[in-house]
Formats: sequence, C-alpha cells, structure tokens
Amino acid sequence: MNVPAVAEPEATPPAVAATEVRIAAARVPEISASGVPVSEVIADAADGERSIVAFLCRECAYSAADAAGNARTSLPPTIRTIMVPCTGRVSPLHLLAALAEGADGVYVAGCLEGQCHYRVGNFHALDRVAFVRRLLESVGVEPERAAMFTMSAADTPRFVATARGMDATVSRLPRLPRS
Amino acid sequence: MTRCGVFLCECGGNISGVLDLPALAAGGRSLDGVVNVTVSQFLCGAEGRRLIEDVVADRGLDRIVIGSCSRRFQGPTFERIARDLELGENTVAFANLREGCAFIHRHEPEKAQRKAETVLAAAVARAGRQRPLQPSRTFLNRSALVVGGGIGGLSAAEELASAGITVHLVEREQSLGGYMARLSKTFPTEDCAMCSLGPRLANAATDSRINVHTLTEVTALSGPPGEFRVRLRHHPRFVTDQCVGCGTCTTVCPVELESQFDLGVTRRKAISRPFANAVPSTFAIDNRGWAPCTSTCPAHTAAQGYIALAAQGRWADAYRVASAPNPFPSVCGRICPHECEEQCTRGRLDQPVAIAAIKRFVADQAAAAGPVEVPARRFEDRVAVVGAGPAGLTAARDLALLGYPVTVFEAQPVAGGMLRLGVPEYRLPRDVVASEVERVLAHGVELRAGERCGQDYTVDSLLASGYGAVLLALGLPQARLLPLEGRELPGVIGGLDLLRSRALGDPVTVGRRVVVIGGGDVAVDAARTALRLGAERVTMACIEDRATLPAQPGELSEAIAEGVLLAPSLMPVALLGDAAVSSVRFQPCTLAEPDARGWRPPRPVDAEQVELEADTVVFCVGQALGEDALAGAAGVAVAGGQIVVDRETMMTGRRGVFAAGDAAAGGGLIAIQAIAAGARAARGIHNHLRGEALLDVWPMERDRAEVPDLELSRRRSLPRQEMRVLPPEERRTSWQEVRLGFNEEEALAEARRCLSCGGCSDCHSCEQACPAGAIDLTQKPWEEELTVGALVVATGHQEFDARRKPPLGYGRYANVLTQSQLARLLSASGPTGGELRRPSDGQVPKRVFMLQCVGSRDSTSRGNEHCSAICCLFATLHASLIRESYPGTQVTIAYTDLRMPGKGHEEYLKLVAERGVRYVRSRVGELAEEQDKSLRVRWEDTVTGGKHEELFDLVVLSAGLEASAGTTQIARVIGLQQGAAGFLKEYHPKLRPVDSQRAGIFIAGTAQGPKGIPETIAQAKAAAARVTSMLHGGMAATPVEVAFSDPDVCIGCGVCVSVCPQGAVRLVDGDRAHALVDQASCRGCGICAAECPSGAMTVGGFSDAELLAEATV
Repeated sequence: MNVPAVAEPEATPPAVAATEVRIAAARVPEISASGVPVSEVIADAADGERSIVAFLCRECAYSAADAAGNARTSLPPTIRTIMVPCTGRVSPLHLLAALAEGADGVYVAGCLEGQCHYRVGNFHALDRVAFVRRLLESVGVEPERAAMFTMSAADTPRFVATARGMDATVSRLPRLPRS
Repeated sequence: MTRCGVFLCECGGNISGVLDLPALAAGGRSLDGVVNVTVSQFLCGAEGRRLIEDVVADRGLDRIVIGSCSRRFQGPTFERIARDLELGENTVAFANLREGCAFIHRHEPEKAQRKAETVLAAAVARAGRQRPLQPSRTFLNRSALVVGGGIGGLSAAEELASAGITVHLVEREQSLGGYMARLSKTFPTEDCAMCSLGPRLANAATDSRINVHTLTEVTALSGPPGEFRVRLRHHPRFVTDQCVGCGTCTTVCPVELESQFDLGVTRRKAISRPFANAVPSTFAIDNRGWAPCTSTCPAHTAAQGYIALAAQGRWADAYRVASAPNPFPSVCGRICPHECEEQCTRGRLDQPVAIAAIKRFVADQAAAAGPVEVPARRFEDRVAVVGAGPAGLTAARDLALLGYPVTVFEAQPVAGGMLRLGVPEYRLPRDVVASEVERVLAHGVELRAGERCGQDYTVDSLLASGYGAVLLALGLPQARLLPLEGRELPGVIGGLDLLRSRALGDPVTVGRRVVVIGGGDVAVDAARTALRLGAERVTMACIEDRATLPAQPGELSEAIAEGVLLAPSLMPVALLGDAAVSSVRFQPCTLAEPDARGWRPPRPVDAEQVELEADTVVFCVGQALGEDALAGAAGVAVAGGQIVVDRETMMTGRRGVFAAGDAAAGGGLIAIQAIAAGARAARGIHNHLRGEALLDVWPMERDRAEVPDLELSRRRSLPRQEMRVLPPEERRTSWQEVRLGFNEEEALAEARRCLSCGGCSDCHSCEQACPAGAIDLTQKPWEEELTVGALVVATGHQEFDARRKPPLGYGRYANVLTQSQLARLLSASGPTGGELRRPSDGQVPKRVFMLQCVGSRDSTSRGNEHCSAICCLFATLHASLIRESYPGTQVTIAYTDLRMPGKGHEEYLKLVAERGVRYVRSRVGELAEEQDKSLRVRWEDTVTGGKHEELFDLVVLSAGLEASAGTTQIARVIGLQQGAAGFLKEYHPKLRPVDSQRAGIFIAGTAQGPKGIPETIAQAKAAAARVTSMLHGGMAATPVEVAFSDPDVCIGCGVCVSVCPQGAVRLVDGDRAHALVDQASCRGCGICAAECPSGAMTVGGFSDAELLAEATV
C-alpha cells in the first residue's frame, strides 16, 4: 500500500505566550485526507458500513456542521460527531480509543489557523493528530485514518467537503478489526 | 448506577419524518442505565417541559438524555430544566438527531436509523459517566463597557445609563459620532443627521454615568462575565482639558494632512477637531511618531517641523525649530553628512528632500528671528565648560537657558573648536561659525579664550573656586602620526596642524608635491587646503579601497574635481629623504575582516611597493586627547583613548565632573553627534546640581512613522532642487565657499516636497500660539484596567474600498467619489458648506451618474457576496437632495435590482422618482476619463438589452459595507467570531440576535451586519436591555465547564501552566507542588487536560471518561 508521509507542520506551534501576530504568521499545512475526488470512489460496502468519529470544536466546526444540517445537505451517514470545547481538548488517547473500539477513521475539525478562540488550541491538535498518524504508521495501520481539518464557522461548504473527503478516504480502506 | 431517562423529540416531523422514533425508543430501553424512554412532539415547548418534570419525579431520574436538535440550539433550555429540578449542572446529555442525523440523511432513512441508534447509545453512555458539578457564585459588576462611539454605541450607552448602569464608552477616533456624524441627511425622512445625533452626543458628554474614552483601544479582556477585566490603551491627545476650542492652533499649524473625517475629500491641519459639535470638543494632534529624518538625527532635530514652516516662508519660526536642539544650524546645514536624507521617505518615491540645504537657508535667516534674549538667572550654581567646540558650546547654551551662570574656557585664542579650526573656510566660512558662536555667548555665557587646562587652571582649581560642576569637552586636539621610519624628517606634518595653522592665519606653506595619508574627511580637507596653498600635485593615499573610503562622497568628488589625486589601497611603510622628506614608500594592501571593535587592519598583498614623490607629507590618520589638558583633570579615568563616563548621567568617575563630545567618545563624532552629546551633558549636570532626575538625559523616544507604500504611490513626483556650486577651476585657487546654498525660491520649492511623514511635525507652533496653554506635546500613551460586568460591541462598518475595482477608476479619476464622500459634499457642515462641487474644477455637475452594488452582491474575489441593504436608499436620498438643490442637474442611478423594503421606503422611492431621477436597470462596463475630467460610461440595459454610452460630470459609487477594521481588531482581542465580510456572528440569528458567542458580550449595529440607522438603534437598545437583565440580580453562577485539577493526582510538572492560553493555571506549594486553576479566568478550552500526563487535570462536562464513553460506542 502506498502510504503517504505524514506532513509535518512547517512551524513549531508557538508557545502559549506567543503573540497573535506570530500565530497568524505561522502557516501550518493541513493534514488532509487522501485527496481522491469523491466521484471516483465507490464505497465498498461488501465488508460492512464504515464508521468515522469526528471531534468538532464548538466554536467553529460544530457551528459549520449545524449550518450544513439546517441547509439539509446530504452527508455520509458513516460520520458521527462529538462536540468538544476546543480541538485543543482532544488528546491522542481519544483518537486511538475510538479507532480501537470500532471506528475506521477519526478526525478533528476546528477553527482556522490563527483564529482559534483559545489562540493555540488548533495548533496543539494538529501536533497530536500528526503524532497519532506516526503512531498508526509504526504499527502498520494506514495513517490517513486520522486527519485534521480547519474551517471557519461560516464555511459550511468546507465542512461538507472535508466530511465527504474523509468518508471517501476511509471507504477505500478495509474495516479495522475491533479490539 | 445512574438512573437515566431518554426523551426523544419529533420536532413536528423534522425528526420523526425521517427516523422511526418508536423503534429507536424500543432499542433505547435496553441500553445500560436507561430507566425510561419517552417520545414527544415538541420537547422544547411547555408540554415537553411538563413531560420531563413528571417523568423525572415519577421514576426518580438523575440523568436526562435529550434526543432532539443540536445542543447549540436548545441545549440551554434542557439544562435549565435539569437545574430547576435540582439535578445539578452537567446532568443532561444530548443526541443530535436533527442537524446531525435526520436533516443530513433524509434520502437514506435506513442508514439514518442505524446512525441514530449509535448516536443515542453514545449519549446514554456519556450520561452514565457525567458527574453533577457545583457552580460557584460570582459577583456582577453593575457597569458596562460599550465599544464604538457611533450611533449604536451612543444609543446603548444612553439606555444603560438611564437604567443606572455605569458606562465606559470607548472610541478609537478623537470624537464620538462615528459614521452618522459624516452624513448630510437621513432617509426616508430627509432630516439632517446631526439634528438627531447632536443631542445624543451632548447627552454622552454631560451624563455623569457615561465615561467617554476617545482615542482609546481595547487591548485585552480577561475574567468571567459579570467581572470582566478590560485593558484600555489611551493614545495621547497632546491637548489638555484646558482647550477652549478657539481654533487658534489650526491657523499656525504648518502641516496639512488628508482629512479622515471628510473621507479624503479635503485636507486638515495636524491639530484639528473633526466637526463643530465633536465630543469631546477638545482639539487633538495627529502625531504618528517621529518622521524618519527626526528619528535618524542624533539630536532628533524636528526636521519635518522646520521644513513645514519653511514651506510657508515662516523663516523665523523655522529657525526657532531648527535651533532648539542645536545652536549650530547654519554650520550643520553646510557640513552635516545628513544621514536624515538617506532615510527620507521621499527617497522611495523620487529623490530625498534636500534637508540640509533647507536647514542652511533657514539658519542663514537667523537675523529674522531677532536678537537672543538673555535667559533669566534661576540658579546660583556656576558651571565651568572646558572646551569651546560644538559639544561644549551646546552644553553652555542649554545650561544658560536652564538658568545657570556658565563660563567656557578655551585653550585656543578663538571659540568654535574644530568648526573654527578644523573645517576649512571654503566649506564653512568663518563668519558663519563666528555668528553662531556669538549667539551662544549672547545667552549670557562667559568666554575665557586662551586659557589652558593643566596650565592656567585645573579641575581641582575650578571646583575649589566655586564652580558646582565642570564639563570636559576637550575634543581630540592632537594629530596622530604613524610610527614610521623618517617621521621626524622636515616636511612631515599632521593634518590637524595644517588646518589649524591655516585657520588661525599662521604662516603655512606646503611643497610642490603633497602626499596626504588618510581617507577620512580630515584628509580630504587637508588635500583641498594644500591645493589652495599652491601645491601642484596633491595625492591622497589611503588603506581603504575606493568603495569603503570613510570620507563623505560629496566632499571627495568635489576634491577630485578640483584635481586631488586618489591612491587607494596603499599602506605607508617608510618616509624617505635626506635633509627633508622627498618621497613615501607604500605597500599595496587590502583590509582584513573587522575585529571586535570594528577596526579593519590593513593586510599587505603580494604586489610591488610603490613610491610617491613628496615635498610635504600630511598625516590624517586620527587624533588623540591632549596630554596637558588631561594632566589638569585629576581623578578622571581615561580608557581606550577616551574619558570614561556613565552613559546614564554623562558624569566621569569624579563627582561633579562631566565629559562629552569627541573626548568622551574616542573621536569620530560628526558635529551633530557632538551637539547631541553636549545637550545630554547639560541635562545630566542640571540633574546633578538639583539633586534629582528632573530631565531625561536621553531624549524621550517616539516610534518612527512610516508612510505606507500604497499612500506613497498616490503622491506626485517632484524633482529635487539642485544646489549651485562654484566651478572647480575657480574654486581650486579660492577660499570662497564652494557650495552656494539655495535662494528663497529654491528653499520654498524644496520644502514643499516634504511628505509630512510624522503627521504633527513637533514644531511647537500651536504650543506658542495657544491662549489657554492647553498643548502638551510630552504626553505618552497610557494603559488602564477597568472591571465591568458586560460588554456591548458596536464598532460599526467601513465602506468597501472601491480601489479593489480598478475599471471604476476610483482613486485615479478625480470625479469618481463614493456615496459617503458625496455625503460630506452635501453636508451643510462639510468642506463645501453643502454645495455640490465636483473635485476636478469646483463646478456644479450637470450630469451625475450613481453606480449601485459596488463590492456588494459580487461573487468575484474582489467583492462581497452580501447585499449591503442601505445603498439603494442612500443613492435615492442623495439623488433627491441633488434634484432639490440643483434642478438643472440630471441624476441617473444604475442599479442591479432595487431593494428597499421597510417602512416608508417604497413611498419614498416613488416620490424621488417623481422628482425626475432616472433609474436604469443595467450592467456597467467601464469608466473612461475624458480630457476635461468628465467620465464616459458604457452600460448595457438589462431590461431592453440595449447598449448605451453617455458622458457624466460626476460619478458616485455606492460602495458596500464591510465590518470596520476596528471590528476585526476587537473580535481578535476579545475572541468573537466573524462571518462573511468580517461581520460579527450572533449567538443565534433569530433567538439571540444581539448576543455574541461569548456570555456577557453583546453586539449591535453595522458591526453585526449591514443595516440602517433605525435598526442599529433598535439593536443597540436591545443589547442594552440584555446587559441590564444580565446584571440585574447582582450575582450569577460561573460556568461549570472550566478546568480543575485533582491535587492528589497532580505531579506538579507544570505543563498545564505553560500551555494555558489564559494564564489561568499556576503551581502552588502545599505538601507538594500542584496545579491550581483560577476558574474565573478559565474559559474551558481543555488544552491543559489533553496535555496533562497524570490525568489530574480535567474540564467540567468534557472529562476523559465522558468523551471516551461517547467515542467508543
């Protein structure tokens, strides 16, 4: 299997005392799903429905998800969302436990870089997702089962695109055995 | 084991239309811990509430699971029910069955049902792990901060004050009033804007419960709702409350700037008041910092100030400014290397302003400033200054101005130091130096020339004879010779000796062939002096190469033009000759890398030595302290060839003895640096004699003001005035001044090139003119922290920048304006007194074209997608006003769609259309400017499809609304969400339209979205009502969703302290160190909990147990 390398953040997440200017200046690449266009992926349901757990920050991503719902946008039923106060609350433990207990993919979605309501929560999350991906790869699990996305509260289309993209990515992978 | 009840909501078919709720309920009953499952039609209504109350009581439930809409919508409703039932906080769990399931999987009901089962199971599992949390109570401060002083902020402040709440009203600009103050009239009633705004302004100014803070920004917010701690930064106004508003200052201020209040359609002075009934009515000075020239000058001369005054021909005022920090402006105008010009902003546009040449002209008009007034004697402590060079004389003058009796001792027969004895007269005529020295002495300074330190007196004798302080401004009078073979031969002299002899009129001759050794300014002076003394061939040999020569380039090229030969990259190795020197032998060399002190020693290169014939060899390789003077200064330490001083006070190791200038710097000072050092020493001496730090020894610094590239690009290019010089063949044999200076016309033209980078030029003209003594240019920014219960953010909008649409020509074509600019022209208090005059020629336009939807309803990347809501009415209003005042003027409004719903608006449109305004539904292509500045507009009629082309005298763009820069800034500072075009997001668009996403912070007006004045006022009053009801009780519960640490588990590693973005965690020492969260400051993000290695830290409602239960179903 062709496993893409985990993209490292270009800049070290700034220390807590860092100014907003520095945060805004630090461009952090998104750790994205495989990037295969949705149209090309036909979910292989032969071995059963996939399950994806999404941790959404209540400030931006959950707000975007609610807006998608209110717009009656069709979304993959594989994805189940969990509200967290900030993506900075999500620890590797939460992601790994979900994968171990039945999820085939996990992702974290929060505010845009530099716009975290707690300044740096999303940078911490980005680091932790990168860590989880390295860990998965080291034990022979496809790292793209874990991902991180950022979006504004107003950017419903981005929430929809990332959810569909993640579903497409995970649908191309076999089911994970439950522990 | 918890007892959990599940309540499923049909949401009137929204959920039950997709999901089979009875089946979901049946499955739910078998989940662990579930005691009861009920389905309701509308769970959020009164019916639902009764149902929950009954079931909880009947079945003894202690946890509730709600399967309904997103927690973000009705979560608080159910949490309140649990609170009322005394189940405690954190006893409700939510299954998002609407937005998270039914709405998004309508077309796949089977899969939706399976997902709903999982979502419900997750919520039940979570509920089983939730532990009730106790909120603490917090005090509510009965005060509010209103951010933004426009009509929204004013209305909110007024409403709050009348409810008895103390208000702090913060505004960035110098007056309250915001956008509404700029408008002429308001739709649909056409009543004047100021007539309804004026009373609001007056009220804010006089109501004792409203504290107005203008020129103020919010820089930080912390603490919980009810007890927010807000940090404010107040920018200096430079005008005190003494101001009576007479406006005398604006008549003397020489600086004109673009008026922001008039949106750039006119200019104003650097000291100004935006409009007559501004609040506060005090004027303010727009000081953006030091202009780069002032910032660069070692003495921080207000160059922009004397240039601004010079541009108005106010020579005496200009002289006052130029001479304030520097008694030698005429000297510096001639010989200063003017680093300021290197930094001049105009250099980025065309060429730098000729600052030094302007200064020279200004200073040569000193006579215009009148005779020096002898300053009053205020103190009896006598001060002795040793050395009458620029440093010593500056200190003497400044001390005299402070009120001290000063005596200056000078070893040479004349005063002036190197200015008089070092710089040759063809660069600096003696009478120029003499007259500036005279002005210094005219301050009542006593000069004792021809008295030598160490010979005629000593520091000891001065102090013994009653001087309270002594300043050693000895300079470096000794020329240095290199320790070369043959240096004692006749014909080998020091450069300084040559220049000094010439300056004193002593007999001095040089041979036919002169070799000057050295590459600095003294070497150039010596070489050119040798030429004028009759040498046939003068060669300047130096170790540096041509590019790194330290001499001023201008001086060097003048010397070369006069015939001086340059021999770079040569180090002298021997002086040859029998009875007298006859030649110098050199080794070609290069310079080594700089050592620790920056000195680059020469290093020989592999090449043949060269020999230059010489009858006279002049060494210009540096100077040294005079041995005899030092002998008279017992107790003063010397190290590295300079007198050691304390940089803070300029005092030497000996109490009461100070030093400044070259002697205290080891040489290399240019005149203005020596002058700055002398001024510092004077302040140090004053502080010493008075026994306290009354004056800053180092002047107060201001930030450097930079003109942004965008603004610079709009400025017209103007050529620099070139100074006339004597032709080389004439000056070679003449001692006449080489550079001839500007005449008045040239000086005026050059001064007008200044870009006024700093805004206020620090010329102090207003200070002198103000009859009330209200000007205080020493004010500095200051910060303040307030505690308030709640915030209202009403920071408003800004107009879409129409320059983002280049085909419309805004900013390029003189007669293209925006509606807001037109409002200024139509305003009776505006720059034209309400007369419509087009900018290019001041004529009344006959044909006006208004273009709608500029930057609005525009899905390209240059515009905004939203409709700005007010533009159709804004244009209609202005068209009506124009038609009424100028019946001969035609107005055409080109619109996309006419959108003006609202009370009275349709009727108004009809009325205006009847007044003869032409409305065309159209798509406009491009604007082109004609020779006479009229505009050719092409458009396509979108009703008929016809193509049109017409000429107009004036085009007005209805530029849309965007959130203001201030809105974006405050959103960042206090953590509010912004949506499209930067508008603030409300908590809920329908249910909580003036609540922000943060508790205790409310939003109103155009910061929230485009709207007119009535809607803004309605929102502002709604926000005030929300604040009033929030603060009503005086106490409130703090949120439970905050972090807390278990001290028994905590290992005291401190990771939480380092990651907390609020600074809310600290380590405390008990039996062992452990983390303690300040729950009032914590905002519950949970970064600490995720980082905590021991598991001690958690967040209320989002513990690991709760999240894992939900994630692993």
